[in-house]
This record gives sequence, C-alpha cells and structure tokens, in this order.
Amino acid sequence: MTKVFTDGLSFAIPLLIMAVGAIYSEKSGVTNLAIEGFQGFGAFIGALIAVLLMPVLGNGSQAVIYIAMLAAAVGGGLYACIHALLCINFKANQVISGVVVNILGLALTTFFTSAANTAINGTASNKFVLGVSTRFTVPGLSRIPWVGGLFQNMYPFEIIIIVLVVFFWYLMYRTRFGMHLRACGENPQALDTAGGKVELTRWIAVIISGALSGIGGICFAYSILSQYSPSIYMGYGYLAIAAMIFGNWNIGTTALVCLIFGFAKSGGQQLCIAAGLPSNYSDLFLMLPYILTMLLLIFFSKKNHPPKAAGEAWDKGRR
Amino acid sequence: MNTKKKGRWLANLLNSEKYSSFTVSVLAIILTLITASVLLLLMGKNPLVAFRSFLQGCGFLPKANYGGGSGMLSDLTDFLNYLAPMLLAALAFIVGFKAGLFNIGIAGQMLLSGFVATIVIGYNKNLPAGVAKPLVLIIGIVVGGLAGALIGFLKYKFNIHEVVSTIMVNYIISYLTGFFINNKFVDMLTRTSRVCAPAARLTLTNIQIGGVNCKIPFGILIAIIMAIVVQFIFDRTAFGFELKAVGQNKNCAKYIGVSVGKSLVASMAFSGILAGLAGVTYYLGYTNTIIPKTLVGMGYDSIAVALLGNSSPVGSIFAAIVVTVFQQGANYMSSAVGVAKEIASLITGILLLYASCGGYMKGLARGVIQKDLDREAEAKRAASHKEDAGQGKEGER
Repeated sequence: MTKVFTDGLSFAIPLLIMAVGAIYSEKSGVTNLAIEGFQGFGAFIGALIAVLLMPVLGNGSQAVIYIAMLAAAVGGGLYACIHALLCINFKANQVISGVVVNILGLALTTFFTSAANTAINGTASNKFVLGVSTRFTVPGLSRIPWVGGLFQNMYPFEIIIIVLVVFFWYLMYRTRFGMHLRACGENPQALDTAGGKVELTRWIAVIISGALSGIGGICFAYSILSQYSPSIYMGYGYLAIAAMIFGNWNIGTTALVCLIFGFAKSGGQQLCIAAGLPSNYSDLFLMLPYILTMLLLIFFSKKNHPPKAAGEAWDKGRR
Repeated sequence: MNTKKKGRWLANLLNSEKYSSFTVSVLAIILTLITASVLLLLMGKNPLVAFRSFLQGCGFLPKANYGGGSGMLSDLTDFLNYLAPMLLAALAFIVGFKAGLFNIGIAGQMLLSGFVATIVIGYNKNLPAGVAKPLVLIIGIVVGGLAGALIGFLKYKFNIHEVVSTIMVNYIISYLTGFFINNKFVDMLTRTSRVCAPAARLTLTNIQIGGVNCKIPFGILIAIIMAIVVQFIFDRTAFGFELKAVGQNKNCAKYIGVSVGKSLVASMAFSGILAGLAGVTYYLGYTNTIIPKTLVGMGYDSIAVALLGNSSPVGSIFAAIVVTVFQQGANYMSSAVGVAKEIASLITGILLLYASCGGYMKGLARGVIQKDLDREAEAKRAASHKEDAGQGKEGER
C-alpha cells in the first residue's frame, strides 16, 4: 500500500508540472497540444548536458541532476519558441502547430541523440543512460500509517516541483502579470484596450509552458525511465493535457487529478503483483491510466469551461 | 528594381487562386531541401549524393550494384508497397480534417484493424485467396470505421477533444493488442506476431518480372481509387459538402440544416475506414507481421502528407510520393552515405513545419503585392498630381 503512494506521487508530480505548463499556455489563449514535444525536447537537452557533465563532476554526483533540470527548462523554453512563433506571429492553426512541434521534436531528438552518442563515445546508440536520482525519506511524517508512503523514498525533484507549482499558482492568481495572462485567454481585446501587450504575454506564457514541460520530462527520465531515449514520448504530455481538461484549467483541481492518475498507475501495478499474475499481464495494467482518463473525460468534459479565446490567433483589428 | 520584380513574381504565384495550393507546397519542399542540405553539409556529407541515394533506394534511379535477383523494378515495387498505406492514411487524415477534426489516432486504428484482420483471416489457412483478400479488406473497413465512429461519438456526445481521445485510444489499442500478441500469437524467434497466410496478404511477393524479384501490391490500386473517390465525394456530393460546411463553420452548418453531430460521427467513421484500409495494406501487405506495442510512424507521416498536399485528395498522391521517397529511401541512403536513417523522420518533420506555415507564406505574398499596388497607386497619384500642378502653372501663364 505504501508503495502505491510512493510510486504514485513520483509519477503524479512531474505530470503536474507539465499540466501547469499546459494551463499557462491555454490560459493565455494558445491551445497547447505540444506539451509532449516540449517535455521530450527539454529532457533531451537536460540529458545531453548531464551526459556531458557526468565525466567532469563524477558519475555519482547529484549536482548533475539539478543542472540537468535547469538545462531541461531552458531547452524546453527555447523549443517552445517554435510553437509561439507559429501560433502567435504566423497565425497558424494552433492544433496543427502543436502536432507539428510534437512530430518534429521526436524526429529532432531521435536523430541528434544518436548523432551526439556517435560524437561522444563512438556508438550510434539512441539513448543517454542517466541512472536514477537518489531518494530520501522524511523522518517522522513517513511513520504515519496509510499516508506515510507519501513521504517515503521521495525524489528531491518532487520538492522542487512542488515549490515551483506553488510559485506559479501565485503568479497566475495573485499577480498583475497573472491577471493579464488570464485576460489574454478570455478577452484579449479587453487587455489590449487596458494597455496590456497581448502578443508579449502569450509569448511569455508559451515559453513558461515549454520550460515547465521540460522539467517534467527530465524528471521522468531520472525516475521511472532512468535514461533518456525516444521512449520518453510515452504520451505523458497528452496525459497532462487530459489532466488539465479534467481539472477545468485550474491549477488546484489539476493537482488533484494528477494525483488520481498517479495512484491509478501505481495501484494498477501493485494490483498486478498482488494478484500474482505473470509479468505478461502488466501490459493490461499499463492501460489503466489511459482508460481512466477516457472515463473521466466522458463524465467531466461537458461541464468544463476552456478559456474563451484559446485556439484563435489574436487580431488587433477585430471586434 | 530587378529583385523587386522577382519578389513580385513569386508573390503572385503564391497568392494566385489557381496555383497557390501547388506553389505553397513546392516552396515548402524547396525550403526543406535547402534546410536538409545545410544539415548534411554540417555533417560533412554531400547533400546531392544523399538526395540521389534517396531516389536510388526507391527505384527511381539505378543503384551502382544490385544483389542477386533484385533490380530497379524490385525497389520500385517495394516503394509502391509502402506508398499504398501512406496514401490511405493521408486520405484518412484529410477526411477528418475537412470536417474540422484532427484524427491523430490513425496509427492506432491501423494497428487495430491490422490485428483483427490478421487473427481472423490471416491465421486461417484454409481460405482461398479469392475469399481471404476481400474479407481482409472488409474487416479493415468495419474495424477502422467503428474505431473512428467511437471517437466521433465521444466528441459529439461528451465534447471530448478528438486529439486527446485518439491518443488515449492509441495507447489502449497498443497495449491491448500487444498483450494478446505476446500471449497468444507470438513467434518465439522474432518476438513479433506469427506471419499470416500468403493467401490473405494483399501484396503478392516473389513475382518474377524481367528476371528480377518483384512485389505486386494491390494496396496501391485501392489507395488511388480511394483518392479519386474521396475527391469526388468532396467535390460532387451533398455528404461531402456537409462535412466541409461543418469543418468551416459549425453554426453556419447548423443554420443550413446540417446535422452537426451526425456529420462529426460520419466523418470520423469515414476517416477510420480509410485508416483501417491503410492498416490492412500495411500489416497484411507491406509487412505480414505485427510488432507488439509499437505504433507505426506512418500515423504522423500521413499528417505531413495531408498538409503538404494542401488537404486535397489528389494532391496528396504527389505529396505521398515525396514523403515516401524520404521514408523508404532512407535505408539505402543510410548505407550509401553513412547518415543515420532517422534523418528521414527529421526531414518529414521539417517538411511539416514549412507546410504548416503555408498560410503565413500566402499572407506574406499578399502583403508584398498589396504594398506594390499601393506604391504604384501612390506613384500614379503623385504623377497625376504633378500633371495637375503643371497644368495649373501653365494656366497661370
């Protein structure tokens, strides 16, 4: 049971930071299906930096992880510029742009991973081996029955992400910038009249979205995957989008949804083990988060309110 | 002055009603080739040799030497064998796209229909070819159509964005079929599903033509017929018109009496049918086995084809050829030039990026023309003003 909580949390938290990224972009009025591509590209940059730094700092060094996270955020943010450019300046269809960014991201990273590997160690392997981040257990709290599992074997990045989520929650709901950003997604004309800069706000929002997704991606690479490879495109970006929709574009609710997804996933795995089924059956349990997403969407998609202006390019002259 | 005229010429081509759909795509291809060339040059390879080997790998140009029993024609038939599902998948995307839906689940629908056709018909050794092949097609149509209709229904009834639902369904299909293949239908040696009976396969293999080993893919016939059918439906039928109306403006479609919900489901079902056909031509034609838990990249490549073909069914035949040359020729290119074959996907991605900027390019062209026209009008006005002024002065005298 504790394992369900521990694993669930370590899956839910990177998912949450990606979902927060998606919320930022969509709240500013840019439909964002590109999360999958952002997280993959961000993780690629992070992993590349990590692989380059590991010989310098020593293999066991944990500092590499933090530098990799920073690099992933920068990489994701830079890559997000493509989506911003296409959607905001070129006024391309935002759904198409998202799909394009995802496809290009997968192609770019796959190609350059093997190119980089060839350059670094001479083998055209398509993955960077990263290892798993160290874990720690919060003393005291972890002894609580039932929920104690939440505080056992935590990854340090979980704490960092929680701090980031709180910060970005504050930024969106309690600051002038956040207010402008939300206005951008609901009624950009009003913001323009009030003297705000619609395009600049959207650019910043999309870049934030890319940076946060990149962090989410590298955290997956350092936890459940323990490497960077094309298998990082496992649809977690889309899962984050589903969490955002189900969470009604609200950071608080989305956090709860991510936790549900996380526990569904880890619960399924533990169920498979507890039932004594052979490992072949794990495929069936791996389907659980996706099936759960579909069911939740069926029940909750009707009632939610996406940002009004999301999906439309802003036209200053339009009324 | 000369350069300005040149810009105007290009702008005119890009903006003209008649040619713009064609010129924008050609420009996207040219820009892609330039970008790819730069990339290849940076890697120290000769881009011209690389592009030639792409074509050589697809049987458009003769290779330096061939293995026993194969020749240019065998490469060309291989190319057509791959082109068939690619074109069908692109048509599947186009049908959804015209109705304003993004069918990202083509790969999943392909996998599901290919899987069902394989286990129901492919493993049935007793059926004669004349019965098995049509049955495979029918299964592709039914399974794909149902899978597509489900997505349309979810969109209509529960307002679930089709991109999210198709991705979720993709993973569900991938794990589910993977589970069954791994547990029941696996070939212990190759770790893929057991090969299906030759009678059920839509591609005839090992046919000798002119002394070389060739394949005869029936899929390419089906694909080209479907391209023409889809074009006809959109150009000439009420059903096609309704789908387009829903895609362009739902409210307007409602006012002219189109049942929007029904159209959404119908277009996704139609899209699924084409994806199902793509699936059976891929899994029971191009290959005759299924790799468990793997979705083909064709699902995404088909989007590149559709956008490059300006979402015109007949146009996408040409676009499919371009994209398939890169995908299919990559293996030979990789061995001839020594660049990882993943560059094919990268080139497709870049192509997609430029194709998606098509609207912006057109807008840019319109801007250039408008500026030119403005400038001319300004010049004319200034000239006539001068004349007026001149006349006035003369009058004074």
